[in-house]
Amino acid sequence: MWIERKALAAEIPAAAALDTRQLCELLAALGFPVDGVASREGTEVVDVDITANRGDAMSHRGMAREVAAKLQQPLAPVAPPSVHEGAPRVPVRLESPACPLYATALLSLGKGTTPLEAQAFLRALESSPKCLPAVDASNELLHRYGHPTHAFDADRIQGAVSVRWAKAGETLVTLDGVTRSLAAQDLVIADEAGPIALAGVMGGEGTKVTETTRRVLLESAWFDPKTVRATARRHNLHTDASHRFGRGADPGMAVVARDLLVDRLQTWAGATLEGAWTAGSLPAPDASVLLPEAMFMRVAGEPLTLAEASGILRRLGCEVTVKAGALIVQPPTWRHDLTIPDDLAEEVLRLRGYEHIPSVLPALEGPPRPLAAGYLQRQALARRLAHLGFHQTVTYGFISPEADAAFAAQDNAPEGRTLANPLGQEYSVMRGTLLSSLRATAEQNLRQGAREVRLFEVAPTYTSGPEGPTERYTLGLAWGGTLGGEDYLSPARPVREADLVGMALDLGLTSRPEVRSLGEGLFGFELPVSDLPQAGARIIPTFRPFSRFPAVERDLSLLVDLGQSHEALAAAMRAAVPGDTLQDLRCVDVFRHKSLPEGRQAWLMRLRFQADRTLVGGEVDEWMASALAAAESLGAKLRA
Amino acid sequence: MDHLLPVEILEAGHAFPQALAACGDLDALLRLKGAYVGREGSHAARLMELLKGAPKEQKRDLGAAINALKQQWEEGLKARQAELEAAKKNLNALASSWDPSLPPPVPARGALHPLNRLMDRLVEVFRPLGFHVEEGPEIETEAHNFDGLNIPEDHPAKASSDTFYLAAHPELLLRTHTSPVQVRTLLRVAPSLERHGGIRFLAPGRVYRKDEIDPTHSPMFHQVEGMLVGHDIGMQHLKGTLEYALRALFGPHTEIRLRPSYFPFVEPGCEVDVSCPLCDAKGCRVCKGSGWVEILGAGLLHPNVLRYAGIDPEEWSGWAFGMGVERMAMMLSQTPDLRLFFENDQRFLKAMGGLD
Repeated sequence: MWIERKALAAEIPAAAALDTRQLCELLAALGFPVDGVASREGTEVVDVDITANRGDAMSHRGMAREVAAKLQQPLAPVAPPSVHEGAPRVPVRLESPACPLYATALLSLGKGTTPLEAQAFLRALESSPKCLPAVDASNELLHRYGHPTHAFDADRIQGAVSVRWAKAGETLVTLDGVTRSLAAQDLVIADEAGPIALAGVMGGEGTKVTETTRRVLLESAWFDPKTVRATARRHNLHTDASHRFGRGADPGMAVVARDLLVDRLQTWAGATLEGAWTAGSLPAPDASVLLPEAMFMRVAGEPLTLAEASGILRRLGCEVTVKAGALIVQPPTWRHDLTIPDDLAEEVLRLRGYEHIPSVLPALEGPPRPLAAGYLQRQALARRLAHLGFHQTVTYGFISPEADAAFAAQDNAPEGRTLANPLGQEYSVMRGTLLSSLRATAEQNLRQGAREVRLFEVAPTYTSGPEGPTERYTLGLAWGGTLGGEDYLSPARPVREADLVGMALDLGLTSRPEVRSLGEGLFGFELPVSDLPQAGARIIPTFRPFSRFPAVERDLSLLVDLGQSHEALAAAMRAAVPGDTLQDLRCVDVFRHKSLPEGRQAWLMRLRFQADRTLVGGEVDEWMASALAAAESLGAKLRA
Repeated sequence: MDHLLPVEILEAGHAFPQALAACGDLDALLRLKGAYVGREGSHAARLMELLKGAPKEQKRDLGAAINALKQQWEEGLKARQAELEAAKKNLNALASSWDPSLPPPVPARGALHPLNRLMDRLVEVFRPLGFHVEEGPEIETEAHNFDGLNIPEDHPAKASSDTFYLAAHPELLLRTHTSPVQVRTLLRVAPSLERHGGIRFLAPGRVYRKDEIDPTHSPMFHQVEGMLVGHDIGMQHLKGTLEYALRALFGPHTEIRLRPSYFPFVEPGCEVDVSCPLCDAKGCRVCKGSGWVEILGAGLLHPNVLRYAGIDPEEWSGWAFGMGVERMAMMLSQTPDLRLFFENDQRFLKAMGGLD
């Protein structure tokens, strides 16, 4: 909200002595940070950020009250010439408790227009003057005092005025030219022909003040905040008035604002007052609040006296009764946000300044809790992969239905994971897979000239269920491009599926992962993080002895069928060697060439024997022969 | 003619190619050479003796068989020797001509994501104060995301223009902050609060708001929530804890500043600024010359938040804070565009995330 320096100083003269920086710091310390400063119409304006709970501060007067309370300086009085009330010239019926108070006046307009000063004031606040005194004066009063008012063209109103709930099927063309279909929860101001304004939100086109308007009927009322908020939201119509009524206007200002508006119309437009009257009465004041001393001290963190607290609360306009160990506080009519003792404690600390709050580390009241195993597992996994050369990615949790369908499980129906109001179709499904996101990221990196991409993400994936989607942390990994070849000792080769399998097994996966081709020489796999082993409860596992005798390594070059399963062959060979002396057995080289018999390939199998004694050549020969025989039983042949 | 040869020699002949291939270096090859074609005790020497003592009519055939075998062995040994020598020579060449100016092989190095790294760091900072980590689902109920946090029924944040909802489950939404973890955790620990002496935790995680993607907005971002519940907790404890933590994070000379603010789930509420860590509060582009940067929102728990979880606000009190991770990461790194954090270019990740 824009605040004009001179207008602020008109309400709180002491503010004139502050320079802009001091004013900004003062407002920020009160909870109203300044977003910007500008020069307009030969004056300085500051853009003040006002939190949603402080409708009372949404005016120059509101800001001035805060500054005055902080500086402990007096406010300029608001003293409109008192308007003598008489009998209603137009009957006003209040038919809903959502409008307990409605002040009005009927005036004939004379000659004259909005003074240049008032026009400049409005322009400085980025509000354009209409040069219709009734409209501009209402607008000016809103910015200055925060109370929204409205002027109707009295000659276009038919019969009595009522404030009532809209009836089904009623419509209203609002000032913005939009035809609004009204709901039974919309509070309207109506004449005998129908609604003429959305109460507290916007006036109607049919009764608006124009250049030809001769007589005006004013409205300065108080509307229930919840009702105004609901109507503003229902019609997506957020106005200066709805912001203020919706946050809770000051009922005490209804009559005052009417009087101020009458005064301006008389001064600016030579208007003649034909009558002023008020329907209804002030709504019941908000309940008083008890502030116990102990609670107050707890929040403040230091022994503040109730006397100091009551002084501060009085400066804010509260009526305070001091009792033994507590204050009874009646908030002012403009502060609807002070409803519990905590609110009052905040006010005292706020006015004293948060900089006075002491700084204390809270003592532990019980033993600290450990970090959860699942959290530690994910953290360790990410660190390990990063050290293995992988880059951790963070991608959106929602993807397109096509990207989801490419890798998500068949039985994971996307309908259960689809957003009702996505940013767009490409962000509409809570993903059942990480691979699509990783693929897109990998492709992007390759396009950017990366030789090799190594990516992983640890994030939830979603599975549709009857109660809604369930989430589980998933590891997704993508790897592709050219491995090595970046220095004179490492030959270059493409990344292969086998590299990913090896990585998964090394992470502790007990079975081979399903490695998916992601295209462009990219491969990926994903698995629930819970499939990977967690760190055991034992810090160091039980000792298992190992042999200190020399190991014997022997190679066996075998001709095997091209379709031979390595796992089956290795298992058969292992089974042929008694005990656990065969510590390792693996294929270390594969040779495929047309010089070999058709349908055959050569595998160089390396066997490593070790025992708790020195092995003799003869027994190793024997085991080798057994292993060979086992291999031969599967159709392998010793390669000559 | 093989029938003329003794069985053990024939077996040795069969084993030869294997043995040859198994020789990994010249020493092993020399041993093999000795065993097959050496002057004494070798297979070849034994064959020569055999030939001497053979009957005259067999000598011709036997001689041919022996020669074929010897020739096969010698050729094999010679070829393998050439191979091994060449390999050794190449290795020697590389070793002897090592040019230290050549780039050496470097192990692959990846990176943690900078946002995760920052969240990990925050957990580390709070750990010594007894904070652990709590987590919750990203798909939340309206009750946990709004109602339990004293957010009124008609709050604008609930609108479908601000919050993502699930089509098939209208009561479910993508959490708009990490604060529902507060609600879940309080509900869970409420019965045992006395036994544990309150609770204190951080809740790092991903959150969603319906913002279009641009240099300063993202529909998904990260927050770290902090919460403490105990006896007689006041603003002084919030200030003390944050002062400790932000100094641990930004350096011992860091100052913090609390400014009044408003969030429905806290009372009193505040925004917390730190003295600008980039210019030592002298004033720079990041702090817009003010010397301060806004870092988080916080406050004492609203009694309704405790009540919702079944905790008596007369007996227990506490504080909470919420911090935007991207905002802090952008501030610290002066990254100009939020989208870089979700683009995941390896160059960016390596430079910004790195390793611990």
